[in-house]
Amino acid sequence: MKKSIGYISSCGIWIALALAPLVLDEWGVSQFAQYMTYGIFALSLAFIWGQAGILCFGQAIFFGLGAYLMALTTLEKFSWFGGSQAIGLILAVLGPGLAAHVVGQLLFRGRGLSGAYFAIVTLATAVIVEIIAQHWSYIGGFNGLLGVPPLVVIWREGLDAFITPMENYYTIFFSALLIYLALLGMVRSPLGIVLATLKDEEYRTRAFGYNIANLKIIAFTCSGAVAGIAGGLFTTQFGFVSPPLTGFALSTEVLIWVAVGGRGVLLAAFLGAIVVRYIENVLSDTLGSYWLMALGTLFIAAVVVAPRGLFGKLLQLPLPRRFRQFVPKKL
Amino acid sequence: MELALIIGLDTLNFTLGLLLVTMGLVVIFGLMNVINMAHGEFFLLGAYTMYMVQQAKMPFWTALLFAPILLAVIGFLIEEFVIRHVYHRFIDTILATWGISLALKQAVIVIFGPSSQSINNPLPEPVEVFGVVYPGYRLFIMGVSLLLATGTFLFFYRTNIGLAARGVIANRAMAASLGINTRFVDRATFAFGAATAGLAGAVMAPIMSVDPQMGVGFLIPAFLSILVGGTTSLLGALLGTGIIGTSSTIVSSIWSQVVAQVVVFGLAIVIIRLFPEGLTGRRK
Amino acid sequence: MSFFSARNLVAGYQKESRVLNGIDFELDQGEIVALIGRNGMGKTTFLETITGHIAPSSGMLLFRDVDITAAQPYIVARAGIGYVPQGREIFNEFSVEQNLLMGAIGKPELANKIPDWAFTIFPVLAERRKQRAGTLSGGQQQQLAIIRALVGSPSLLLLDEPSEGIQPSIVQNIGTTMAKIAAESGLTILLVEQNLELAISLANRCVFMENGRIVEEVEDISRLRNDQELVHRYLSA
Repeated sequence: MKKSIGYISSCGIWIALALAPLVLDEWGVSQFAQYMTYGIFALSLAFIWGQAGILCFGQAIFFGLGAYLMALTTLEKFSWFGGSQAIGLILAVLGPGLAAHVVGQLLFRGRGLSGAYFAIVTLATAVIVEIIAQHWSYIGGFNGLLGVPPLVVIWREGLDAFITPMENYYTIFFSALLIYLALLGMVRSPLGIVLATLKDEEYRTRAFGYNIANLKIIAFTCSGAVAGIAGGLFTTQFGFVSPPLTGFALSTEVLIWVAVGGRGVLLAAFLGAIVVRYIENVLSDTLGSYWLMALGTLFIAAVVVAPRGLFGKLLQLPLPRRFRQFVPKKL
Repeated sequence: MELALIIGLDTLNFTLGLLLVTMGLVVIFGLMNVINMAHGEFFLLGAYTMYMVQQAKMPFWTALLFAPILLAVIGFLIEEFVIRHVYHRFIDTILATWGISLALKQAVIVIFGPSSQSINNPLPEPVEVFGVVYPGYRLFIMGVSLLLATGTFLFFYRTNIGLAARGVIANRAMAASLGINTRFVDRATFAFGAATAGLAGAVMAPIMSVDPQMGVGFLIPAFLSILVGGTTSLLGALLGTGIIGTSSTIVSSIWSQVVAQVVVFGLAIVIIRLFPEGLTGRRK
Repeated sequence: MSFFSARNLVAGYQKESRVLNGIDFELDQGEIVALIGRNGMGKTTFLETITGHIAPSSGMLLFRDVDITAAQPYIVARAGIGYVPQGREIFNEFSVEQNLLMGAIGKPELANKIPDWAFTIFPVLAERRKQRAGTLSGGQQQQLAIIRALVGSPSLLLLDEPSEGIQPSIVQNIGTTMAKIAAESGLTILLVEQNLELAISLANRCVFMENGRIVEEVEDISRLRNDQELVHRYLSA
């Protein structure tokens, strides 16, 4: 009976998000669509951090890359694609995925970097990528690129074709749901179970004959691709890209969302992003500059006393039935 | 010839400045195995101590006393309330100290505002060394850095307290069973690391733009230095800051600072990739 | 009051586990007692509980009329209990000299230096005082660990399987040396051993441990040599 709580609350959250536009005004609808976009970004980090124990301090590299690719395509900077949003979104998946794959190949192969070293190297990479973006005039330099068009729908034409807030909401909602289910499927597959073992004692998993580097690279590639989609969807809603999207600050912000929500459970991290962004929106006027202090303190508290985050326990799903036999019964 | 000498002095200046900033990071990382992301903010608070001393019209050197003391107290409190709960969770130390960094930086913004403060140069007179004229205060910084590095080395490698601290790192349980108060050693080491960061901030403040973001700028090169050099010894820090400092100065004198950042970062990654334990680190 | 006593001591590595299941045990000053039992019976856990590395869930530990139950390890050490753990746990990166110094600097009442006698007990340590301790042989490391504990001038010494993995001649040497030191200084020793030779040569009393309890006590140490049935009961698998 107790086992089903995770299922019930997880379904409840998706149903609540599906029904949310009924009680939100137009502004609220577009706000929540943006929160969910950050939620997708949080999913990408929770997938590698919570599942495989890879702490990436440069997740925004892939988010920003997706955003830039989407913007460059739809603004016809890549003139040969004719500004196609579909191709933009595809590039926003493939580009960051490929980038993550290359980073993974460089950092995980051989003796490989792990733990803190990986964190610091990715952090430094994010800083450098941001610096490069600031000084590369083709992609807009410091100012970035403005005027990225919103998504268009195929069933209307001309100026009416631009997506309505409600359509946008459900586009993001279903994207998030699909990505969530895909990642959840991976987490609950045999691959995911092996990945989870990397969190504790890597050498044991290696001793069982698994190729650790390959597993990590696969996970990291998927994570990069998901972060890229989030970036691509972000830029269609906000209408701009700029260097901070690739950098250090956003990379650490997403860490906070995931840690506060609950790093071990995908949906908890997703919800963490939504809740933190929502509270920030509500409180940043009243709290002003104290908000970041409060957030920092909340983050410390989450790390020190509640590693499972605010929602980790509530949303934890039981192990897939076929793996349960391997778990020792509690004494 | 004179140009080469100036570049040489610049290199030494940058390297020793970096070493000054890196010192506390090495102590806390190398000896306690804690990655202190709040190090940049400790540095920042040291710089603001210098600012406050100047506002209070007190003599410059008092800041060199107040900053380490203030940061030792802050370090002590942070160790007690946050760090000691995550010692056994290595990755979480990064996150917890990152949270501290965020909160401290924001506290500085709340108290002092986001804009940058300027500090008077206490030694404005240029000095002639080896036939070239060089800013006196920069030479002072180089001297402080050398003193601090030597002092830290002597403290940890030539005193009994230093031996006890290293013993606690090597084998905590055994050190405790020999009568060493390991909690005290933890607190003292962390406070010491924080104090050196504070001193570095106070010393560097007059030649920097003192603003709430100044800590981050030094954090990355400092981290790369210790990863390149190796985390387990102070010698590694010296080597790491030497490599990062030298390559930064040379590349930025040829091209620009932006190119230097990118090139040096790339170089650091290659070294870290080839020597995951750092250049001086022993293979496990 | 006895010199050292454990009363109904219960402890384990996790909350529910009871590796020690109610130990009652007394030591008089100057005694050398061998604690004997098979692997997994709780011998090392007992020592780790005395030294404060494991907090007991109930029971009491008294040392020289001071309650040291659940005291922190450094408090226990400063109270005068020296510990030579299983596996020796020397500081590999430190020199022999620095290892010995570690034994002294944790004790506020001692001078922060190595006493001269420390190098005379096992002369090999004097020959290698500047050598990295990790490069010593197992037997030398054991000797180092013992002297390191003695440098802290304990009144009770806990020795956990000092013979483990060490060549017999050194084991014998350790045994006779420790007996001599104890006789001269009145040091009390609790020796955990599976090596009967060492136990017989050193101890003057012997207790047997099984499933986390002291189950039998033998005052006549020579029975270890003669009573096959007794030894078989507590040591054979």
